[in-house]
Amino acid sequence: MPASIRRRLVLLILASIALVWTVALVSSYRHAAHELQEWEDARLVEFARFLVVLSPADLAALAKTHIDARDEFDIQHANAKDDDDSLPRDILLQVRDADGRILASSPELASLQGWQVQTPATPGLRTMTLGGKPWHTFTLHDTASGRTVRVLEPANTRSDLATGAARRISRPIAFALPVLAILVWFSIGHSLAPLKMLSNAIRTRDVSKLEPIEMGPTPAEVRPLVDAINQLLARLALSIERERAFTSDAAHELKTPLAAIKVQAQVALSAPNTASQQLAMRRVVQGVDRSAHLAEQLLLLARLDEHDKLPTAPVRLETLARNAIAAKEPAARRKDIHVALIDSEPCEVVAEPLLMGILLDNLIDNAIKYGEAGGRVEVAIRRESEAVQLTVRDNGPGVSAEDRARLTDRFFRCKDTRASGSGLGLSIVARIVEYFGAQLTFDTGIGGAGLSAEIVFPAAAVAPARVTSAAET
Amino acid sequence: MRILLVEDDDLIGSGVEAGLRQAGFTVDWARDGRKAMLALETTAYALVVLDLGLPLLSGNELLKWLRDAGNDVPVLVLTAKGTVADRVDGLEAGADDYLGKPFDLTELVARSRALLRRSQGRSVEVIRYRDLVVDPAGQTVLRDDARVPLTARELAVLVQLLTHQGVPQSKSRLEESLYGWQEEIESNAIEVHVSNLRKKLGADLITTVRGIGYVMEKV
Repeated sequence: MPASIRRRLVLLILASIALVWTVALVSSYRHAAHELQEWEDARLVEFARFLVVLSPADLAALAKTHIDARDEFDIQHANAKDDDDSLPRDILLQVRDADGRILASSPELASLQGWQVQTPATPGLRTMTLGGKPWHTFTLHDTASGRTVRVLEPANTRSDLATGAARRISRPIAFALPVLAILVWFSIGHSLAPLKMLSNAIRTRDVSKLEPIEMGPTPAEVRPLVDAINQLLARLALSIERERAFTSDAAHELKTPLAAIKVQAQVALSAPNTASQQLAMRRVVQGVDRSAHLAEQLLLLARLDEHDKLPTAPVRLETLARNAIAAKEPAARRKDIHVALIDSEPCEVVAEPLLMGILLDNLIDNAIKYGEAGGRVEVAIRRESEAVQLTVRDNGPGVSAEDRARLTDRFFRCKDTRASGSGLGLSIVARIVEYFGAQLTFDTGIGGAGLSAEIVFPAAAVAPARVTSAAET
Repeated sequence: MRILLVEDDDLIGSGVEAGLRQAGFTVDWARDGRKAMLALETTAYALVVLDLGLPLLSGNELLKWLRDAGNDVPVLVLTAKGTVADRVDGLEAGADDYLGKPFDLTELVARSRALLRRSQGRSVEVIRYRDLVVDPAGQTVLRDDARVPLTARELAVLVQLLTHQGVPQSKSRLEESLYGWQEEIESNAIEVHVSNLRKKLGADLITTVRGIGYVMEKV
């Protein structure tokens, strides 16, 4: 059975009430019993004092009568049955004169073994067991008459009157508890209604509907929950909106190489000679390569977005940079661009080698693609106190400060760019940089011209320095 | 007939250029908005095929400039953004037709021909003139139901004159409509083409307007 706040609250509240009532009951019972005892003791003392002044003849007559010490007599009384006082409780007495002779004694005393052993008794109230029964006794020594008076009363062990009082208190409680349980059950249910409303509001919600939940006035305890859910909905709506925009942009980007492939294929089909047919077919292949590259970039971005933790290891930046430069050599030669690793302090960063390779490839590729023919591209790796700084810069036409802020936006392309591209390269770089907790900034490149991309890996991502040999891998 | 192609994508541009050439058009290819502007300022094109996503000057800006300058050359717009709103925007900015990427090259050629026809006030592709039946799309010429073999240039001169009946076409105007940017033109090329046409189709077909050029009289 699932945990229920309502069930738990009802149980806790009822248990607390029962506990408090029980304590109150026990305490009232004890108090009543104590009061009763005191009252009974006072009565016994009063009776003893009364015996002191009686004449020996009256005493003897009194000793032979039954003196009933019952607290209640009226059998017709509503509580009579509960009080267990239906049987008489006779007070026994014994009076001696100054010389110790018995002036009067109840005949029942003779049958109580051990009674004589107790004499001479000390004055005052005592409780003792005689003949297997508890007794309250009072001994009074009257100095004026020299009489010693002893009275005995069977102890009211069942606390008849006290039990009655306890019953009278507990009976309404016994009736009230179930009523209370029902009242508490419904009040809690009523108090929890906003939660039920909230869950209904969420349950009946359409997936495409992400506007905030409106419930009107909500209790202070539920408001934070509603607010938190609304905030989540807002974030969700934003991320879905971004996702939609990305999908639509991606579709548009994929259309361009597809259009190229289709056009070139149709040119090839209707080409008047083999040479132009061959040329068109080569361009078809180029178009396919371009769409494949775009698809790869999109997949890479999607994978980076999944936030899967990739296994990281210390990666030597210099080696990766040299590999990337070598890979871009043909493209650089076509544009007569000189790519050089101008600064390379031996340092490692904790990263994933494939992603770091893609990062360097993209940066160097961009620098060549958007750089000026006959220009320069410089790659530098520097250790700045604890951090490691990787810079790729060119002396091409550069990017306006306004556009620099948008360089990492997906599908963003500068308005006056001529080179073909999807506008995804730098957003991939930015995602990889973010992935490894590094910082990416753009500035002007070589000699204030062109563009420089600077990535700073924080100290945490920098592998502890190792003794590295001069030999290059 | 000379067409200006404005497209920044190498692969699409070269494909469309080749396709339009194969269809018998003369094509100039501008890769950005500014170059297209320059070309439109200096040359009278029969048609502009315009991609909207251009560097330096966007297709829409170019279109607005073109119409503001009073140039009513037919414009066929190519774009990857194929939503209805985009199309409406493009058409309202002065485009005459719209093709979403990826498009069919044959459809592009057919729509180009349709736009050209409309701008020349024709409703059918085939042009009938006296005993001639000229089909620019099929690149065929029939004289008394017999096919007359013509070179592409000869056909182009014939079509240029036929589509401007009664309006004398200067030599330079004819050259302009026949030769693209990179093409070498012999100084007497037009005279040679006209003389060949007269030989193949009849000496009285094309009239020389002294000091101006050539004309085919209205029938």
